[in-house]
Amino acid sequence: MSVAQQSYQLSEYLEKLPGTTFRKLYQQPSTAFAIFRRMLPPLAKVFVQALLYMPSPLLLADLDVWVRGEGKMQRDRALSILRSLHIIQITPPGKDKPQEMQLTTNFKNSLRLALEGGGSHNSFGVPSTLPVDPRIDIAHLDNYARKKWEDILHYVVNSVPVHGEGGGGSFGGGPKASVKDVLLIGHLVERRHDTRGGVSITQAGFTFLLQEANAQVWTLLLLWLEAADRANKGAANAANAAKTDSIDMLSFLFMLASLELGRAYNTDALTDPRRNMLPALVDFGLIYIPREDTRQYFPTRLATTLTSSASALRSVSSGFSAAAANNPGDASSLGTTPDTSAASKGAIIIETNYRIYAYTSSPLQIAVMALFAHLNLRFPGMVTGRLTRDSIRRAIGFGITADQIVSYLASHAHEQMVRAAAATGRPVLPPTVVDQIRLWQLENERMRTSAGFMFKDFDSLEEYVSLSAYAEEIGVLVWRSDKKRMFYASKIEQLRDYLKSRKKAE
Amino acid sequence: MVKAVRGVLVECEPAIKSILVHIDSTNNNEFIIEDLDETHLFVKETMVHLLKQKLEDRLKETYRPEEPLEDSE
Repeated sequence: MSVAQQSYQLSEYLEKLPGTTFRKLYQQPSTAFAIFRRMLPPLAKVFVQALLYMPSPLLLADLDVWVRGEGKMQRDRALSILRSLHIIQITPPGKDKPQEMQLTTNFKNSLRLALEGGGSHNSFGVPSTLPVDPRIDIAHLDNYARKKWEDILHYVVNSVPVHGEGGGGSFGGGPKASVKDVLLIGHLVERRHDTRGGVSITQAGFTFLLQEANAQVWTLLLLWLEAADRANKGAANAANAAKTDSIDMLSFLFMLASLELGRAYNTDALTDPRRNMLPALVDFGLIYIPREDTRQYFPTRLATTLTSSASALRSVSSGFSAAAANNPGDASSLGTTPDTSAASKGAIIIETNYRIYAYTSSPLQIAVMALFAHLNLRFPGMVTGRLTRDSIRRAIGFGITADQIVSYLASHAHEQMVRAAAATGRPVLPPTVVDQIRLWQLENERMRTSAGFMFKDFDSLEEYVSLSAYAEEIGVLVWRSDKKRMFYASKIEQLRDYLKSRKKAE
Repeated sequence: MVKAVRGVLVECEPAIKSILVHIDSTNNNEFIIEDLDETHLFVKETMVHLLKQKLEDRLKETYRPEEPLEDSE
């Protein structure tokens, strides 16, 4: 419905970087490896693996032999991703020479190094040889990371203007000032004086809140990188400003992601700029440094899962995404997500008359529920409320979707509801309620909008046909009209490149 | 020469579209860049929010759904 400013994601961030940045990034084997692991669809991985040890460039025409006719679309999409990440180079189409493709040099060398394990690049971290305190085990690190992260979420949630008895409650400490600054700069919260704590959540903040933990971490880290970048530009004239390069910072994050959970690493092996990043990473809960011995650092699960698809720490929001990952219509399979955090244990009972009873006293969970439900009574260990048209509409106005709400309710349903549903073979949530939530959303979605670019005034029909066909192949075509010779695409970068290479070929 | 124009594509039912077109024509045409077809409009990016609000206001005048039931607490 809205041009909801989607929270920042890694792929979008990377796509905007120039080629020189990629060349620098790919100097580090762990980066090349992480990008390969996390960012590529299966077919793209196959291409990379095939090209990796190929001594000479591959003719683009030969690639067609590998891909079945009906897979052309996937092939083009894979190639388009590989190009936008500057992993492959394709020679421009020319009349005298056929098109060739090959891996970019730095990426190829680094990925080879990562696979073969040679070199002295230390890009997979240097383990500490010092004795490790036995109290620092994986459970300890998980607890530590969860606490840090929930503090941040609390801070964001608590900035919601509270209705009645609903949310709030006390929360101790909160995140460090540096983290608060990042949240402010990233417009996840904005300064306002009529709320507790002096800040209030923005629409981007709501989207952030409902993301999966891993996506949340990336959102925050990318905001941080951008803030550092801007600060650099400001300080570029200052003589001896300690220059923390955002490219190096990003490389460091990819390196952290390749470390092993529960293992101690050597702080001294890091370069100075990277060592300067450590305090901030401690504030985010990505690493842990023992107070009495700062020569070691421990990556937490938040860091080591950065580039894997394995789920990171369970948090309030994890229910949303875990459930959303399932088929949203298939409510019966929901509600069985294993939860480790006490706050996210199933606690919600919802009746066919839209009443909600939640057996919880966690301020975080109550505050999240207050986002989409009208809570009216609070008892020790329990709150009651109801879903109303207004409460759902308000949530949708915040940028929350009906599916997110339904998934949240399903994955946080009380075990009594899950049991009753299993016994009678019915879905966990009352279907009337689920349908009504969706209907309320539809009511609000009278106009659907999408941001992008209109392409028009083509010189020739042929130019229109080929560019719009290309847009469709790479999956950015939203609307087209052959009569008007116009089409609408959600992204422009690759179409522009395509036009340029066409011009050259002519 | 091909041109790429930045903007927002709006998709809606024909009935809603005619309301949007009317809002546009009574506001110095400051919302819509181009009327594309029955269900699509091309709108200025900066004006989408305001347009949405105006549509909401217009619908409120005509449309009052009942709440499912009153609360007894």
